Amino acid sequence: MMRPFQDLIAAVEQADSSDALLVATENLAGMTGGAGDAEAIDCLIRVLGFNNPGASVAAVEGLIAIGTAAVQPLLATLDEHNYGARAWAVRALAGIRDVRGLELLEGALGKDVGPSVRRAAARGLGQLSHEGLQGEERERLNGRCLTALEAACRDGEWVVRYAVVVGLESLALTLSPESDLRRRAQDSLSSLAKPCLEDTPVVRLRAELALRRLNERAGDGGSR
Amino acid sequence: MTGTTDPASPRAGAGEPISESEALQRLRQIDDHSDQYYAAWWLGRMRSRHPEAVPLLQAALRRRQPREAASGVEHNAVARNAARALGKLGDPQAIPDLLAALEDEDDGLREAAARALGELRAEGAVAVLCQRLASGLAGAGAPLDPRSPRLREPCEAMLEALGDIGVAETTVLAVIEPFLDHDRPLIRSAAGRALFLLSGDPRRAEGLVSLLEHPQLQVRRAALMDLGAVGWRPALEPIRRTLAENSLKLIALRGLVEKGQGEPDTESLLAAMDELL
Repeated sequence: MMRPFQDLIAAVEQADSSDALLVATENLAGMTGGAGDAEAIDCLIRVLGFNNPGASVAAVEGLIAIGTAAVQPLLATLDEHNYGARAWAVRALAGIRDVRGLELLEGALGKDVGPSVRRAAARGLGQLSHEGLQGEERERLNGRCLTALEAACRDGEWVVRYAVVVGLESLALTLSPESDLRRRAQDSLSSLAKPCLEDTPVVRLRAELALRRLNERAGDGGSR
Repeated sequence: MTGTTDPASPRAGAGEPISESEALQRLRQIDDHSDQYYAAWWLGRMRSRHPEAVPLLQAALRRRQPREAASGVEHNAVARNAARALGKLGDPQAIPDLLAALEDEDDGLREAAARALGELRAEGAVAVLCQRLASGLAGAGAPLDPRSPRLREPCEAMLEALGDIGVAETTVLAVIEPFLDHDRPLIRSAAGRALFLLSGDPRRAEGLVSLLEHPQLQVRRAALMDLGAVGWRPALEPIRRTLAENSLKLIALRGLVEKGQGEPDTESLLAAMDELL
């Protein structure tokens, strides 16, 4: 029952209730990852601005399935006036893991006024793909991600600091246990686990979990 | 944590960056109400530990104001923000002034005072709260006038405060129970939350879970907050499935981690939170 993409896109554009939008977006997103993606991208990006959380989740999944082809359009259409939409777009970029998103994620984590945007950016900075990058380039990328995450350890919102922990953990798991960057990541996690430095229990619990996982895999260089 | 307690450098999301001494100064003067309004909010948001903060907020709470339509300042706006800040600062010295505000004719001020007393776990407030709610659905729970969204008493805040304060006497439970049948789902949610906190009766938490599927987003959001406040861990899967913003689900799941116990275990809850970032 392959319906042409135009029909699926039209169903999203014409949805007249939040349930209809959800279903139409899920249908469109479910068909991505093949021919027709190019047409779906703009439509899925527009859904991110509709303030419909269910539909936005589906649209983000669709954009992640589309992958690298969605990166440029996402970067080009970031909505500076709508932080809900921006948070979803940053989530999509984080999920696609393309290094072209690096600068945007750094800026979002350091400066965006929306905690939901900073939170998505922190997670994304921990999981950028190293594909195609060699030694020194790779090291530089990791260094920039780590520096951005370190700076955000003192963000005023607990949920951003929580996301920083998750970002630090996934970044550190790819670093050699003897490396300087790995030690820095662990130092940041240790401070986020200390009651005298971090007042939100769930952030401390998550940091402790991250440190435990890193210790368990101390002999494992990690790769992705 | 540094970010919320270092008043010299408020972080993003904290509004206009001012210093603690500037905030105290703005609250101390009484001519510019919007400056006072902002200062009161700021001191609460930044969890000020300055010795003058609580006395100045108490003074601001005692000073009632008429509505100033021209400047956009609402009825008792400063007093309301002062009450909210006093709830956050956690100093029991503020309780007598908050109890007095609970008797004010401004229902918005009574609402702010009730919430603050709940945050302060002020057992001394239980009798007044019960007395104001005792008239039940036909009294306290009836609309202020037929077209008003407001009720005669700020029931949601008062019910939640009774739950937070935690005096689990049968007389208190009996005052709250009728509100489980209120026609507004937000009031039912508040009553369920309070009763679960006081009695631990799982039926009350299950009532909150069923509100996660309510057609109105506003109700689903309130149920998420209430489940977070009670920390009912079996709500994990329903929370994940709820159609609402990830930000609210994260707050709810934080509550399950920090206030709940048993199954699902903490690691499963944290994994669910990771997925929502």
